Amino acid sequence: MKNVRFYLIFVVFAALILTGCTSPAPTSAPIATEAPAATAAPAATPESAPAAEGVTLRWRTRPDNQEEANVYQSISDNLNLDGVTLVYEPGGSETASYQDVLKTELASGTAPDVFWIPGTDVADFATRGLLYDLRSLADATAGYADSDFYPGPMFHLTFDPATSSAGPALWGLPRDVSTFALYLNLDLIAEAGADDPRELEANGEWTWEKFLEVAAAVNALGSDVRGYGGSAWWGPYGVWMNAAGGNFFNADRTACGLDTPEALAGLTFAQNLYTSGVAVPYGEDPEPPFRAGNVAMFQNGRWATPGIRTVEFDWDVVGLPTGPAGNPGNWLFWGAYVVNANTAHPEQAWQLVQALTTAQTQGQVAALGANIPSRVSQEALNAFLTFTPPANNQAFLDGLANSPTAEGPLWAGSWPEFVSVMDAAVSSLLSGQSSIDDFANTVCDEANKAF
Amino acid sequence: MTPRDTFRFSLQLLLLWHGILAAAAAIGAYLAATQAFDLPNWAHTLLAILLGLSMAASAGAAWWLWRRDRRGRNLSLILNYLLFVALLLLWFQSFNFYLGINSLANTFGRGVPFLLLLLIGYVVGAQADRFEQKPARARFFTRAGKYIALIGALFFLYAVGILAGLQSFLARFSSLQALALTLLLALLALMLWLAWRPGVAQALSARNSDEEMLYGLLFLSPNLLGFLLFFAGPLLLSLYTSFTDWDAFGTRNWIGLANYGEIFGLTFANLQSPTQLAREVIDITRFDELARLNLFGKHILVGAEDKLFWTALRNTLLFVLLAVPLSVVPALLLANTLNAKIRGMSLFRAIYFVPTIAAVVGVALIWRWLYNSTVGWINYIIAAIIGWINGLAGAELLSDPAIGWLSDTRVALLAVVIIASWQWLGFNTVLFLAGLQGIPKSLYEAATVDGAGSLAKFLRVTVPLLAPTTFFVLTTTTIQAMQLFDQVFVLTTPPGGPGTSTTTIVLYLYQSGFREFRQGYASAIAWVLFLLIFGLTLVQFQRQRAGADA
Repeated sequence: MKNVRFYLIFVVFAALILTGCTSPAPTSAPIATEAPAATAAPAATPESAPAAEGVTLRWRTRPDNQEEANVYQSISDNLNLDGVTLVYEPGGSETASYQDVLKTELASGTAPDVFWIPGTDVADFATRGLLYDLRSLADATAGYADSDFYPGPMFHLTFDPATSSAGPALWGLPRDVSTFALYLNLDLIAEAGADDPRELEANGEWTWEKFLEVAAAVNALGSDVRGYGGSAWWGPYGVWMNAAGGNFFNADRTACGLDTPEALAGLTFAQNLYTSGVAVPYGEDPEPPFRAGNVAMFQNGRWATPGIRTVEFDWDVVGLPTGPAGNPGNWLFWGAYVVNANTAHPEQAWQLVQALTTAQTQGQVAALGANIPSRVSQEALNAFLTFTPPANNQAFLDGLANSPTAEGPLWAGSWPEFVSVMDAAVSSLLSGQSSIDDFANTVCDEANKAF
Repeated sequence: MTPRDTFRFSLQLLLLWHGILAAAAAIGAYLAATQAFDLPNWAHTLLAILLGLSMAASAGAAWWLWRRDRRGRNLSLILNYLLFVALLLLWFQSFNFYLGINSLANTFGRGVPFLLLLLIGYVVGAQADRFEQKPARARFFTRAGKYIALIGALFFLYAVGILAGLQSFLARFSSLQALALTLLLALLALMLWLAWRPGVAQALSARNSDEEMLYGLLFLSPNLLGFLLFFAGPLLLSLYTSFTDWDAFGTRNWIGLANYGEIFGLTFANLQSPTQLAREVIDITRFDELARLNLFGKHILVGAEDKLFWTALRNTLLFVLLAVPLSVVPALLLANTLNAKIRGMSLFRAIYFVPTIAAVVGVALIWRWLYNSTVGWINYIIAAIIGWINGLAGAELLSDPAIGWLSDTRVALLAVVIIASWQWLGFNTVLFLAGLQGIPKSLYEAATVDGAGSLAKFLRVTVPLLAPTTFFVLTTTTIQAMQLFDQVFVLTTPPGGPGTSTTTIVLYLYQSGFREFRQGYASAIAWVLFLLIFGLTLVQFQRQRAGADA
């Protein structure tokens, strides 16, 4: 019997060795999903691009959920790039540290040919030589124009750190865009007898003062009910600064701007929201209480829509209230498809980046409701308005139209270092642990070290 | 050829082999030292060192073999074995074995039904043992079992894709590199076989101790090589990296102790008044305000080059001070209770162990919901209890604190302490239970005879005799607490918040390395943490030894 056992082990081991030597399958089987409305048109190719023969491109993006991953898989399966086999790799979610895995793979030389990164990472990646500059390929591509996309993201995606100007480089194309809106619990607002924010906005009366009135009225309903909730990161508190005329940086983004009177005015307003108890305490996740029906106005981006669609109360969205500077101070969030600097097939990778950002492809993803197409196209925006609920999708488009500040990388410094100092200082301020004067006196001394 | 001639020929072959190997290694080391390959600097250095060592070892083996010294055989076997393992790994890489495992994972399921045939073959073959008195029948079962297993194996291999694998395997031999690698591997196997033969050992007057050493090293080698490759190697690499400014992508520039200088860089300045601004007394382009001290009426400002490191250190030590006692003392008491011989006690032991085996991320996410200050169960229960007390009293005796578990900088670390202690309690309890089982019952009986009560027996018998277990539990829990990361990373938003109230050293290390692209600096922090843990463990060891001696 010992011999039989030996043979058994030998056979399994031989199978492992020999079958293991088989080349891995290029693509996984297509995941059954609803057929896309339209198959993406083949991307325009650079005039000088050689015909691809047996080229396999790996690409990756960060889906928010399995449904979105299925759509990307379907897009990958249906894209028809001449001679190119596409392998889609769904990246992990935010908690699975998508960026950490990507950076590790870039360091070890095993990163995909094309991948998505958040807008704030573009400078760090580009200045370290991790991204392929697509400008020459784009210039040789008939029909391509930077102006087809929103100018905010394109400023950073075409920024050349060597000349400190926008235009000479092209680091990628934006996958999608998003802005903030306030998700409303209409039942709670009605119960409090407060004005409907959507009507106030329609009448041009949706200001900080009115926002406070609505929030305070709802807050009075009970000790476990809050008027407002915003998550604890730079986006939500940044809008208050922007709307007061402030900014994280100075005008040319080469120094800290957190201690300007305008920025401080915005932060003072935000601090009052938290210390007066109108808002869900800073640092607490506001989504569970909002979903539980305990928060009237929940500030979040378009990406929160699929999750909110399952709540049981009457809800809609409204734009952010107008601040002292005369605008709501919204952000234009974006992320981009970029090409690995070490790709063996830059021309094909550029084709893929274009194909992934066509109006049709973006429409398939936007139909899930989690984001807005990044192309400046009335057709795309009209289609977006039909992706309901919420009924008031226009609020997101107004956010785009109303001079939003583009989420931006820091070309003259380190964004991660800057945001680490800023987040800690603002967190201390908004949770009432430090005063606005302490904040003003110290924050830029520390934050300027990031430049 | 007589056997003696055969062994002489084997020795001559080995001698020739090591001569060639030494020369090849010398050339390789020279090329690596002159950076002739397309490799990073550090890889050139490492390769030059390894090839240099191989050259020396091979030359040494050749010299001793020529002198007919048994040490030549030992060295030859060790060197050839290491080279064989290294080349085998390269061979796997060259034949796409590692990537191919993914393919096998996809097709393995198709072959599983045929593995049942293998199992049946085994069972049939095993029946032969029942017929020891009837050899013919025993032979029949043995053969039948073998054939069934063989058929099962063939079907299994076919189903998982052996033909495609074989085709791919053979196709790779068309590559010169793969062919050369295979030949080299075969040559190394031949040399190993030649040197291993008992005749060669006899010819070189090998002793029993040599054989024992070689067998010992052979059996140790999987663990030893794994340790060197996956632990000691990265450890040394991180030590080297800590003296560089490496960002994970570019070159590692040697900057000496600069990273350590930045970590420990402190400055002190006298303040004219308690509210004087830091920028007026320290160089704010280099230092951040860390703390203000009042020493006998004299106000001193402490500035740090890396304020966050000191904050993380403070948080980590505070966490250790709170979490270690909270997960050790209750565990001791709980183990004492669970040590009783009562029906159903095993169930309780299992229940207390559940948090230990639960996934940290899942547990932390559930606790995040429980901790929510607005809709979380913990605050809900606290509010209900307060309401009940006030109701009983008929007055507002107590007010609802509405604790901001994860939003109040004063409470957030405590929230993490509670989760960690809860998670570690079960494991520590099991360790204490194991320790309690080892205490002789006779000691408790003697104590009872002497009139000792339960408390006296616990304090005078249990606690002293559990000292080795307590030491182990304290040491491992302290190390675990010093390395706190997962719970904070999942529980707090942003990780380490609110503010920096839950930023721990490992979290800060991770943020420096992966978020701020400062791998060199992160490595330096890792080494500081290592020294800190090493120091604490050393103190515990000495205290334990002193206690044992007393």
